[in-house]
Amino acid sequence: MAHEARSAALRELFAPLVGALGYKFTPDQELADFLLEQEAVLEETKGAPYCPCQVRTHRREHDMTIVCPCIPYHRAHFDAMRRCWCGLFVHRDVTDPGDLPQIAASELGIEG
Amino acid sequence: MNDPVFVYALSTCPWCRKAKQYFEENDVVFEAVDVDLLADDESDRLADEAFTLSGSRAYPVVKIGAEVIVGYAPERYAQLLGIAT
Repeated sequence: MAHEARSAALRELFAPLVGALGYKFTPDQELADFLLEQEAVLEETKGAPYCPCQVRTHRREHDMTIVCPCIPYHRAHFDAMRRCWCGLFVHRDVTDPGDLPQIAASELGIEG
Repeated sequence: MNDPVFVYALSTCPWCRKAKQYFEENDVVFEAVDVDLLADDESDRLADEAFTLSGSRAYPVVKIGAEVIVGYAPERYAQLLGIAT
């Protein structure tokens, strides 16, 4: 893993932040490792650990809302799914993330 | 003949990869583009196109005929394409 050290650092940085929000890292270790590596690459190439599954617009007011962990900006949506959009984090009581589908905010009647 | 399938994807997104893999494994003819790998102008154009269709900046965005699905949703894909699950 080319960005192993930074991925590990991001993991340490994020853990207490998302814990305070009622979330934890997905127990799917392979998924977590992949997403953290993508975030390390995005941080290196684009300047911040953006969500790997949301697109940047080059408008700061939007792009800041997709810097990981982006839970505070999408709280109602993620709480309804019990996971964040990319799946790096799940609600703290989740044991099987495979049961948690991605659901568009609009389908949940939530402003994304 | 199935409705045309188009996948707006990000190269960094594992769910985009799974969506493409789903169509491959089910022998569905589809087109896909990794929006983030395009040159800046083209990337912005495709991202805006996906946003106009979906109202969302979240990926994958999958267009099946006139239907637009945001996220990896194999059951929805199967339903729209008449694939037995």
